Amino acid sequence: MATRDPLDFDVGVEEDEDGAPSPSSPLSYFERDRHVAFFGMLYDLMPYHYQSQEINRLTLAFFTISGLHLLKALDRVDKDRVASWVLSFRAHPINQAELKNGQFYGFHGSRMSQFPPDENGVSVCNAGHLASTYCALAILKTVGFNILTIDKESILISMRNLQQPDGSFMPVHLGAETDLRFVYCAAAICFMLEDWSGMDREKTKDYILNCQSYDGGFGLMPGLESHGGGTYCAVASLRLMGYIEDDLLSKNATSSIINVPLLLDWCMQRQAIDGGFQGRANKSSDTCYAFWVGAVLRILGGYKFIDKIALRGFLLTCQSEFGGFSKYPRELPDLYHSYYGCTAFSLLEEPGLNPLCAELGMTDLAALGIL
Amino acid sequence: MESSEEDGGVPLSRMAEWRDVTPLRQDDGPNPVVPITYKEEFRETMDYFRAIYKADERSPRALRLTRRAIHLNPGNYTVWHFRRLVLEALNTDLDEELDFIQRIANSNSKNYQLWHHRRWVIERLGSNARSKELHLIKSILSLDAKNYHAWSHRQWVLQALGGWEDELDYCRQLLEQDIFNNSAWNQRYFVVTRSPFLGGLPAMRASEVRYSVEAIVVNPNNECPWRYLRGLYKDDIESLVNDREILSICLKPSQELRDAVVALWTSDTRPLDADLATAICDILEHVDSLRASYWIWRKNKLRIAA
Repeated sequence: MATRDPLDFDVGVEEDEDGAPSPSSPLSYFERDRHVAFFGMLYDLMPYHYQSQEINRLTLAFFTISGLHLLKALDRVDKDRVASWVLSFRAHPINQAELKNGQFYGFHGSRMSQFPPDENGVSVCNAGHLASTYCALAILKTVGFNILTIDKESILISMRNLQQPDGSFMPVHLGAETDLRFVYCAAAICFMLEDWSGMDREKTKDYILNCQSYDGGFGLMPGLESHGGGTYCAVASLRLMGYIEDDLLSKNATSSIINVPLLLDWCMQRQAIDGGFQGRANKSSDTCYAFWVGAVLRILGGYKFIDKIALRGFLLTCQSEFGGFSKYPRELPDLYHSYYGCTAFSLLEEPGLNPLCAELGMTDLAALGIL
Repeated sequence: MESSEEDGGVPLSRMAEWRDVTPLRQDDGPNPVVPITYKEEFRETMDYFRAIYKADERSPRALRLTRRAIHLNPGNYTVWHFRRLVLEALNTDLDEELDFIQRIANSNSKNYQLWHHRRWVIERLGSNARSKELHLIKSILSLDAKNYHAWSHRQWVLQALGGWEDELDYCRQLLEQDIFNNSAWNQRYFVVTRSPFLGGLPAMRASEVRYSVEAIVVNPNNECPWRYLRGLYKDDIESLVNDREILSICLKPSQELRDAVVALWTSDTRPLDADLATAICDILEHVDSLRASYWIWRKNKLRIAA
C-alpha cells in the first residue's frame, strides 16, 4: 500500500506477497464513515508498507489531515499538536547571507533528512523541499494556523534559488528533476503566503505555456505527452498567478495565453466509457484523474459538462470496503488515491463533504483560513 | 569494487565493518503525526545512513550503504544525492553505475529519483553513452510502451546528445505494434518538429498528414491520429479547414456523418458553415452521450456566434 510524491502520477499499488485484491462488489454509496476510519487510522499509525515513503512524511500527513477535513472529521486531529509538529520541519537560515547560498529554507519532508544544528548552531544538510513546503503550509492552514506569522521572507527569497533559467523549478537544491509539479508547488506557496517575490512570474508563465501540447493538454515538461497531472499543474498555476480568469467558459471570455477550446476538448475526452477519467488518451481510467482533470474543468468553468452519474459509478467501483479508494476498480486502497477519491467526490458535491478549493487541492475553508 | 549481491539482510550492527559507527536514530520528536511502523531492517539501515551522512563520510562502505538504503526507499532523494557525492569522491566507474541503476529500474521503472540519477551519470559520460542509453530506454519501453519517465528521459537524451536519425522509424515501429499508443504519437510530433534532420513541420506536414489520415481511416475511433492531424496545422488551422480532400477522406468512416454533410451540401440553399457545425453537434449529442452537455453547449455557442 505504498504511495509516492503528492504529485507522483501513475503510481501502482504494492500488494502483500500473498495478497490478491479482494473482489468484493462495489458499495453503492459514498461510505463516509469508513473513509474517516481509514484516514484516522493512518493519522495515528501507518503500517510498514509506507516506510519507503518516510522521505515524504509531511505529504502523508497532509493527505490524512486534509482528508479528514474534507470528510468533516477534523475533530479527530489535535490541531495545536499538528501545527507544532509541522513547524518543527522548518529549515532555518542562521542569517540573511545564507539565503543566497543556493539552498531553500522551506520545510523538510521528513526527519530523515533533517538534522539538528551542530554546537556552533550551523545547520547541517538542509534539504528544504518545495513539495514538503506546499504540504506544510496546506496542513497549517487546515488546522487554522495563521501562516502569515511565520518567517516567510526566507522562504520566498531562497525559493528563487530553485528557479531555473527556463522558468521551471527544482524541488530541492541538492538536485532533482524539474517539471510542472514543482512550478505548481512554487505557485501555490507564493499564493498562500500572498507574496510573489518567490519567483519570476513571467518566466514561470513562459515555461508553463511551453508545456502545452499540440492536442491542448499539458505535458509535465515541454515536448512531453499531455497528461492529466501536468494539465492540472499548468492550469492551476496560471489561475493562482492570475494569468487566467476564474470560470473562463461561463464568462464567454477567451484566454489569450493558452488555447482554451482545445484544452477543454482534451479534458472532456478524458472521461472514458466506464465513467472514470484517464490521465492520457487511450489509457485506463484511474481514480485520481477524477481530481486532476476534474479540477481543471472546475477552474475553467466546464465541470458542468461531465457525466457526473457515470463518474460517480466508476469511483464507487474504486471505493474499498476497508475505507479509502484504490487506483483501479476492486484493488486495495492506498492513501494517495484515497485522498484524491475524496477530492473527486467533493467536486461532485457529495453531501457531507466540505467544498474543495480546486486550485489549491484542499478544502475551501482551509484555503480561506477559516477553522 | 561494490559487491553485486545485497548484504543478504544481515544486520549492520553485526558486521565488523560497521563496528566503529554509532547509528544515529531518527528523532521523531514528542508527538509525531503519521508515525510509521518501520521494519527493523529499514530503521537500522537509515540510522547508519544518517550517521554516515552527517559525518559526510565518502567511502566505499558509504557507497554500499547507499545502495542498501536505496533498495529500501528508492524515492529518498537525500540518499541518491549522497550517493552522487560519494561516486564523485571515489571517482567510481560510471558504466558500472549504469548497471546498478538498471537493476533497480527493473522494479522501480516509475521512480523519479532513479531517472534523475541516470541522467546525472549520462551527463558525465557524454555522447559515448548515447546509443547504449537509447537502447536501454527502448528495452524499458518494450515492457511498457507508455512509461512516462522513460519517454521523458528519451527526449532529454535526444536533445542533449543527439541520435535523432532513427527516431521517426522507431515511432513508426511502435505505432505498428499499437496504433493507439498516444506516447508514440506524441514522440512522433516531437521528432517531426524538433529533429535537426527533418526540416521541421513545414517540410514534414504533407507526409505526416498522409500518415495520420491513413491511421484515421483504419481506426476512426482512435483519438490520437485526429488530434495529431489537427496538431500538424497548429498555427494554420485555415489550411486544414479548407482542404476538402482531407476532410472527405476523414468523413468516410461515418455513414451518419456523411449523410448529414451530403444532405447539407446537396440542399438547395447554400449551407452555412454554422449549419454543418450545428448538425454535427446534434449527431454528437446522441452518439457521444457521455459528453451530451458539452455538445449542447458547443451548439449554443455557434448560435450566438452566427
